[in-house]
Amino acid sequence: MLLALSLTMLFPGCSEKQDFDQYEQLSLEPILEGSLLYIEAPERIINQANGVMVYTFDLRFEAFSSSIFSERAIEGSITYFVENTTSKPLDVTAEFLDASGNVLDTENFTIAAAPTAIIQRDIEYGPNGRSIDIIKNTVTIRITAQNLGDTTSVSSFPDPKVKLTSRAQFRVRVK
Amino acid sequence: MRLFKNLFFLALLQGCGFAFGQNKELLYDFNEIPQSLMVNPGVLSDFQWYAGVPALSGISLHAGSSGISVNDIFADDGLDINDKVRDRAIGGMNIRDELSGIFQIELLNAGFRGRNPDNFYSFGIYAEGNSIGYWFKDYAILAVDGNADRLNEKFDLSHLKSRGELMNVFHFGINKRLKKGLTVGARAKIYSGIFDFNTTQNKGYFVTTPGQNNIYASTLDADMRLRTSGIDELLTANDEGRLAGTVLKRGFFGGNLGLGADLGFSYQPNEKWVVTASLLDLGFVYQTSDVKNYTLNGRATVEGAQVILPDALSDPNRDFWQELIDEIEALIPFEDNTKNYLAFRPTQLYASLRYNFGKEMASKVACNCEDLVSGSALRYRYANGVGGQLYMINRPRGPQMALTAFYLKRLGEALSLKATYTVDKFTYSNIGLGINVQAGPVNLYVLANNLLAYRNIADTNYASFMLGLNIISWGNN
Repeated sequence: MLLALSLTMLFPGCSEKQDFDQYEQLSLEPILEGSLLYIEAPERIINQANGVMVYTFDLRFEAFSSSIFSERAIEGSITYFVENTTSKPLDVTAEFLDASGNVLDTENFTIAAAPTAIIQRDIEYGPNGRSIDIIKNTVTIRITAQNLGDTTSVSSFPDPKVKLTSRAQFRVRVK
Repeated sequence: MRLFKNLFFLALLQGCGFAFGQNKELLYDFNEIPQSLMVNPGVLSDFQWYAGVPALSGISLHAGSSGISVNDIFADDGLDINDKVRDRAIGGMNIRDELSGIFQIELLNAGFRGRNPDNFYSFGIYAEGNSIGYWFKDYAILAVDGNADRLNEKFDLSHLKSRGELMNVFHFGINKRLKKGLTVGARAKIYSGIFDFNTTQNKGYFVTTPGQNNIYASTLDADMRLRTSGIDELLTANDEGRLAGTVLKRGFFGGNLGLGADLGFSYQPNEKWVVTASLLDLGFVYQTSDVKNYTLNGRATVEGAQVILPDALSDPNRDFWQELIDEIEALIPFEDNTKNYLAFRPTQLYASLRYNFGKEMASKVACNCEDLVSGSALRYRYANGVGGQLYMINRPRGPQMALTAFYLKRLGEALSLKATYTVDKFTYSNIGLGINVQAGPVNLYVLANNLLAYRNIADTNYASFMLGLNIISWGNN
């Protein structure tokens, strides 16, 4: 037995054919998701606003433009949910701005007074949707809310408000 | 940026290794080979003196991987590599599967018998590099699949568990025969660390859950630590083209120093039976030079950027994004420090039981053995030996064990063979063979493991190879 083993040792090892070039085809593209933006405005603030414009503000948002994301993002989507429990119809707009202040993308929601269903809207970015460059170059999100109704009525819903929630889901290339 | 270079360097070190086991079951108690003193300082030795050929006296490389092989991923089988990674690595490996490695190269090794012929002294220097990394399963799932559609699934940060080191070891050992068939040995070691890294105490998780306000809440609860020494200096030296000199300097007392010991014994209750055991690398390196540690400790839950009126209108210049960043950094600070730390060596334990039988062979020792305290025990050399061995090593996920059955055959004075069958976490079919050739004073040994795997070396989970060249004298030639 020892002799046989000795002979075995003397033979060079064999190996099935390997193709290490397959490494180039290895693709690591996880899909990451998380919440994006949450905005909440109670009805009393809307009523206090003088005129149609309830509020507008620019929110610096550099998660998308950071190199760790922008250099890897392939495609994805942003899903918005807008819920209005106030007594007036509202118009909510989200605009994506680049570093020079140019508007890259606009999403507008017109939502009827309560009771109304939640508006859900999925916006695709990438090969099957809007340009992914919109996302990669966005550094600011501008939110504008307009009151399309009166400023006196009060909803019968408890704690009436307009609420925008959103999530982002993107495929990124790790390798 | 330096951190990322460090992490890349560590990943490279880790990635180069596929797994290396440290068990030297072929060398253990193969006492025709002087290097058997390195795995049991209390081995039965009968040399008058020996001298290893510098840099060639002991070269060992142990390689293997539990859970997956090169062939599993890179076989030219027409399958999509992405499917193979998903099925065989992500789906097939668990967190106890490891990727690790060890090599040892003896730079100097010699031994001589003292004036008291019951004492044998040995000394030398060897370089050792070793690393171990367990399969970081949840990190791999995140990297391949991401967290989408995995609501409430916790990604366990403790799956990152890795350590590695490169050092020179300076050692001096004594092997002493005592009465009643007992031989004991001890070896003192000074470790001169070249570099070290370890991240073995990580805790925490990342989870995505339904949010309180927004759709999702992303929570990171982390208690993570990466400790390094020597790596910054090596990276700088590499950039400046003086890597070899820096490695040499740090390997010869210019880096981090540590102390350790090996202990062992052999006991012959009678002429047929031999019981042995040894405890190796009972020691540590105190990392004080070029230490750089990184920590991530805290807990934060994020539901995206939140703007809640009317508070948001109170300050028109309010920067919600910066507030979010600052809040996260305050809750989970990523910090670095230069605190010294102790790195314990991976302690190993060997034990064996051998039964000698067959033709009795003349002792090589040129002495009147009856004068020795060990008496006539040295006379007992038999053509055959059979027995079992136990091996254990302390690892970050707890001790690992291997069991070995062996057969030792001496063919005259010139040739001896040892065959082993070992069962461990890497494989259940590890058959090894060691050949020791003694041509006059010249001693050559070759030891190889897991021979059956040589049929398809890419498909093996374990392989090891050792060889060495020595000059040996028994005082009678």
